[in-house]
Amino acid sequence: MSHALRVIRAVCLKDLRLALREPISTAIGVILPINFLFLFSLFALTGGEAPIAVVLLDDGPLAQQFVLSLQQAHSFQVHLADPGQAHAELVEGRIVGVVTVPAAFSAQLQSSRQIDLPVDVNNLNVDFTNDIRRAVPLSITSFYAQAFPGQVVVRANESDVQPQDTGYVSYLAVSIVVIGLFIEGVLQSAVITAREYEDHTMIELTLAPASPLAVTVGKIAAGFVLSAAAGVLATLVVVFVVGVRPVYPLEVVAFGLLITVPAVASGVFVGTLLKRRQAAIPLAIGSTLPLFFLSGPFGPPNWGGAMGTVALISPLTYAIALFQHAFHGYLTAQPALATDLLVLVGFSVLAIGAAGVVLRRGIVP
Amino acid sequence: MPEPVIALVEMTKRFKDFTAVDALTLQVEPAEIFGLLGPNGSGKTTTINAISGLSKPTSGSVHVLGHDVVADPRTVRRRLGVVPQETALYEELTADANLRFHGDLFDVPREVLARRMTELLDLVQLADRRGDRVGSFSGGMKRRLALARALLHDPELLYLDEPTLGVDVQSRRALWDHILELKAQGKTVLITTNYLEEASALCDRIAILDHGRLVALDSPANLRRRYGDTVLDMVLQEPLAEAILAELRGIHGVTQISVSDNALKVALADAPEATGEVVTLVTRHTRLIRIDQHEPGLEEVFLQLTGRDLRD
Repeated sequence: MSHALRVIRAVCLKDLRLALREPISTAIGVILPINFLFLFSLFALTGGEAPIAVVLLDDGPLAQQFVLSLQQAHSFQVHLADPGQAHAELVEGRIVGVVTVPAAFSAQLQSSRQIDLPVDVNNLNVDFTNDIRRAVPLSITSFYAQAFPGQVVVRANESDVQPQDTGYVSYLAVSIVVIGLFIEGVLQSAVITAREYEDHTMIELTLAPASPLAVTVGKIAAGFVLSAAAGVLATLVVVFVVGVRPVYPLEVVAFGLLITVPAVASGVFVGTLLKRRQAAIPLAIGSTLPLFFLSGPFGPPNWGGAMGTVALISPLTYAIALFQHAFHGYLTAQPALATDLLVLVGFSVLAIGAAGVVLRRGIVP
Repeated sequence: MPEPVIALVEMTKRFKDFTAVDALTLQVEPAEIFGLLGPNGSGKTTTINAISGLSKPTSGSVHVLGHDVVADPRTVRRRLGVVPQETALYEELTADANLRFHGDLFDVPREVLARRMTELLDLVQLADRRGDRVGSFSGGMKRRLALARALLHDPELLYLDEPTLGVDVQSRRALWDHILELKAQGKTVLITTNYLEEASALCDRIAILDHGRLVALDSPANLRRRYGDTVLDMVLQEPLAEAILAELRGIHGVTQISVSDNALKVALADAPEATGEVVTLVTRHTRLIRIDQHEPGLEEVFLQLTGRDLRD
C-alpha cells in the first residue's frame, strides 16, 4: 500500500473511531435526516389540506355525490358531523370550515331551484381560508359537471407531461433525503475537522510527512461513511414507511453517494476555516437549510432574479433533480440528467480542492 | 567534521512590520542536547516553526540534517520527532491506537511497527496501559506517551517543547533520564523550556533569544562563568544611593550589580578579597539585614541578558 493510501485509511479509521467514541452525537447526526423527514412530512400533512366538517341534512343521492366531490377536491380533509358537533369543532379551532348540505338539497336541484349552501369559515388562518374560498366553488362546479353532464358544456381536457401524478409528500420526502444527506455530510465532517484544532491534534497531522490532500481525502472518507449510513437509513424510511418506491434503485445508490461527496468536502472546508465545533455546527445547518428551500424541494425551482441565481449555483438543485429522477423517473427543470450529473461532479471536485487548499493552509499551528 | 544537524544562517522572519526573528545564525551539532531559551515573544516558536518546516523564513536559510527545510519539508519531517507542549494525543483513543496512527502517518514499515511500539511503551513504562484510553492518563503519562510517539519513526532529531511542563517531580526525573538516554544513543535533542534548572541539567549548549536576536550561545557552565563565580544576595535596611553603587562597581572583581528596592545582588569573579570589600562598603552606609552567598544560576544570567524573568 502506498504511503498516501495508508494515510487516507489511517485518518478515515481514526475519525470513525473518534466518532464512535461519541455515540450520542454521532447517533443524533445519523438520525438527523429522519428527523427532517418527520418534521417536513408533518408540515406537509398539516398544511396541505384544510380540515372541514360536512353537515349532511339531506340523504338523497345528489347530496351524497356532492360530498364525494368535496372529498375528491384534494383540498379538504372531510368528515361528517352533526350541526352541534361541527360548530363546536369550528369554535375550538379543530376544523377551519363547516359546509352544510341543506335538507332539500337533492329535491331543489332536481327542480332546478337555486340553493344557498351555508359555509362557515374560521378565518384565523388565511391560507386555509383561501383554500375553502377557492375549492368549495370548484367542488360545486365539478359536482355539477358530473351530476348534470349535459348542462355544463365547457370542460377542461387535461394532458399530462408525466406518466403519473406525484403526491406532494412523495416529492418532498425525496427532497428531504437529499437535504438530510447534505446537512449530515457537512455537519459530520465539519465536526471531525474542527475537533482536530480544538484538541490540538492537528499538530500531529501537520508535523507528519503526509500529503495534505491524503489527509483531506481521509477526512472526507470518514464523513462519507457516516453520512452514507444516515442516507441509507433515511432512504429506507422513505421507501418502506412513506411508501415511495424508486423507479431506478441503482440510481438511488449512485446519486446518493455522489451527493454526499460535495457535502462532506464542504464540511472539511468549514471545519478547517472555523476551527471550532461550536461555530461550525450552526453554520453548517444555517447555510444549508435556506439553500435547500431555494433549490426546489417542493417542485422544480422556478425563481427569478437573485433567488433564481442562487438556485442555479446551488449543488442542492442538481442533487434534488437527480434524486427525483431516481425515485420518480422524471426530469425536473434541468436540461438533462447528464448535465445535472456533470454539475454535481464539478461541485465535488471543487469542494475537495477547496478543502485540500484550506486544510493545507490551515494546518500551520 | 560532521555536518550540523540544524544550521540556521542569517534566518529572518517578519510578519508585516514586526520582525519575529532577526538574522539568527546558529548550529546544532549531532548528539547534542541543545536548549533554546527566551522570554515570551523572543522568537523561539518562530524559530522552531522554521526548523519544522511549518513557516518559511523571510530571508536566510534553514537546513536540517543537510536538507533545505523550505525546499524539502517532508524529508525533514520524516526525520524529525516532536513532543509538542499540548502533547497532541487523541485522548479518546488508546495508547496503542495513538502510536499505530502515528506509525501510519510516518509510514513506519508494518513489520517494524508492532515491535517498535512494544519497545517504546516499555521504555516509557506504559506497556501495561497500552490498551487504555489516553484520557485516563496523568499529565506525566501523557508526556511519556508523546515521547514514545515522537520516537516511533526513529528520528535523528527530536524536538521537545516544554517536556516536563505540569509534570510531577518524580516523572520529571524519569523524563530527564529518557532524554539523556536519547543523547547516549546518538540522537540530537532540541529543547525549549521555561525551567532553567532543566536546561542546566540537560543541555550541552543553550541559545538565549531576546526580541528575535541571539543574545548568548554557550554551555550552561560557561554562561554562568560569564556572569561571575560568586553571587552575594543582600537585603538592606535602606536602598543605597547611586554614588555608593558606583563605588561598588569600581571594586576589583565586581562584574554585575542589580538593585531591586532594598535587595542588592552583586556578582563577583576571580577576586576572593572582593567579598569583604563589598560588605564593608555596604555596612558603612546602611544596616545589612541578610546576606547569602552562592554560585550564579542561569536565572541570573538570563536576567542579566534579557532584563526579564523567563516566565515574563
